[in-house]
Amino acid sequence: MIDFVQIAAVDPDFFKDRSGGGCIQDNNLFCPGWVVDNYDRYVDPTLQHLVLVLSAVGIGFAIAFSLAILAHRRRWLASPFLAATGVLYTIPSISFFFLLLPLTGRGTTTAIIALTAFTLQIIFRNVLTGLRNVPVEVTEAARGIGYTPKQMLWRVEIPLAMPEIVAGLRIATVSTVALATLAVFANGGGLGGEIISGSNLTFKTGIIVAGSIAVVMAILFDALILLLGRLLTPWKRAAAL
Amino acid sequence: MPDGSRSAENSSSHGADASPVRYQGVTKRYPGADSDAVHDLDLEIPSGEICVLVGPSGCGKTTAMRMVNRTVEMTSGDILIGDRSVKDGDAAILRREIGYVIQQIGLFPHRTIGQNIATVPKLLNWDKNRTDDRVTKLLDLTGLDPEFADRYPSQLSGGQQQRVGVARALAVDPPVMLMDEPFGAIDPISRGRLQNEFLRLQADIKKTILFVTHDVDEAIKMGDRIAVMKKGGEVAQFATPTELLMEPADDFVEDFVGADRALKRLALMRVRDVDLWNAPSTQAGRRSDDVLNELKTSEVPYAVLVDGENRPLGWLSTRDLDAETVPVHPDSTGVPMIDADTTLRDGLAQLLAGGSLYGTVVDGRGRLTGVLSVEIISDFLASKEAAEVAIPAVDRPHDD
Repeated sequence: MIDFVQIAAVDPDFFKDRSGGGCIQDNNLFCPGWVVDNYDRYVDPTLQHLVLVLSAVGIGFAIAFSLAILAHRRRWLASPFLAATGVLYTIPSISFFFLLLPLTGRGTTTAIIALTAFTLQIIFRNVLTGLRNVPVEVTEAARGIGYTPKQMLWRVEIPLAMPEIVAGLRIATVSTVALATLAVFANGGGLGGEIISGSNLTFKTGIIVAGSIAVVMAILFDALILLLGRLLTPWKRAAAL
Repeated sequence: MPDGSRSAENSSSHGADASPVRYQGVTKRYPGADSDAVHDLDLEIPSGEICVLVGPSGCGKTTAMRMVNRTVEMTSGDILIGDRSVKDGDAAILRREIGYVIQQIGLFPHRTIGQNIATVPKLLNWDKNRTDDRVTKLLDLTGLDPEFADRYPSQLSGGQQQRVGVARALAVDPPVMLMDEPFGAIDPISRGRLQNEFLRLQADIKKTILFVTHDVDEAIKMGDRIAVMKKGGEVAQFATPTELLMEPADDFVEDFVGADRALKRLALMRVRDVDLWNAPSTQAGRRSDDVLNELKTSEVPYAVLVDGENRPLGWLSTRDLDAETVPVHPDSTGVPMIDADTTLRDGLAQLLAGGSLYGTVVDGRGRLTGVLSVEIISDFLASKEAAEVAIPAVDRPHDD
């Protein structure tokens, strides 16, 4: 917990800001003047946060997607995979950081591993559900018409599972944006640092700004993935017409 | 797709229309089952014919069909398409050369109608122009609007989707088609129409078709030959529809074909195919005595009043003929007028509905061609002729 204390230690210059004056002294709910003068301090943490989220979701998707395809082919693998990803999902991220400490030390790698582990269950479940929901008459027709199993997977099953796959990706990404604020406890950077920085968790404006950036990031990711999903499933809209 | 370049492309471009299909001692036993699903099946389906596999559920008819494209692998025996065993080579490649239509249609919901139809051409690496031409032709052949090419399956009705299913199966002009209860999920009215459309299409394309159904009426309507199967996966009878109805091989077939098989036989013949009776016909204004004289030797005890175009206006009663000349308005005008193209079964229905022993039969232009009587129909049913008439699929009557 030493590290935590260090992070949270009061930065003597923190309140001697360039402006804000009385607002800061009084620690009002929100001090716009302070934000205007200090926005540059959020650039790096925001970029770090993006890296954390994109790495975790990217790696998590690659692993969970492969596991789901394996489990779709060999049904008996589904239960052990679900159990394993379930355990990883349930471990609180903070405990995970400390569990990884002897292996990967402190830093971005540790944070990404923990965040990745968290995404697996969500993505795995959704991809597998998507693949299993492909109507049996469609796969029967595909097979009877002369698709090889591989062609059927890539040209029929995965495209048809796309709505569920995209839904899983959305949930995983949005949750990871939120969860990545904890990466600071693994010394992994991100917006979490700004939320707790220098203020013994009492500087409200800092919490609101860093928190808002995370929320906006989550909303943007959500919208972006939603749009991607629309583009990948044009037939869904045709059906609604 | 290095595997997609084989003979289907060649054979279809040269229009190899159809190949015979031969089952040779084919047996299927599913793992863990204690009896065969299909037992020692020998069948020979001549090129260009529709062979219907019909039977109660669990008789192995679908299994028997699916062994042709190896969506079910046989346990022993062999199936030949032309002179080639289906066991030669890769199953996926074999399947591209065999049209496949299933009851639930199984269109790809994420692909447009055009893309659905182009599935197998694409697997076989056809170039774009050839594929597009083929799609356009198939939409036309199956009676679909060319505009449908860009729509998705969910935007089409069930009947339209089924047509797309047939078009997709015909995409590379395969010599053999498998149809697994293709019209089973369609409402009865559309079903009749789709069946007729398909028979007309088949008259053109003359594929060798294996057609599975549990519906005897559909089997009789669609089949050039019918294999009635029974539990245990054996063929109880393999015969033409007429033979099946006239001489069921055993109690099982007789039972399965149904007690009304006599009536079913009537559905195999059109009114114009039987010897109709003649009735004296006359226009108004003729001397009644002449007509009465003709009646003495006529098969039908009534005379028909016709107009100048020989179109029947009604029957002349004895009272009508009491007058000096034939009246313009006969007593009885509500006579059944039966189109020569209707089936005997529908003709009989019209007679019964009209409460009449006789009905005038008219051709396409409404002109009198003869008289149908209940007696003609009962004689026909009793005759050996009914059993001997072989009716090709193309000439089979249509309901619409």
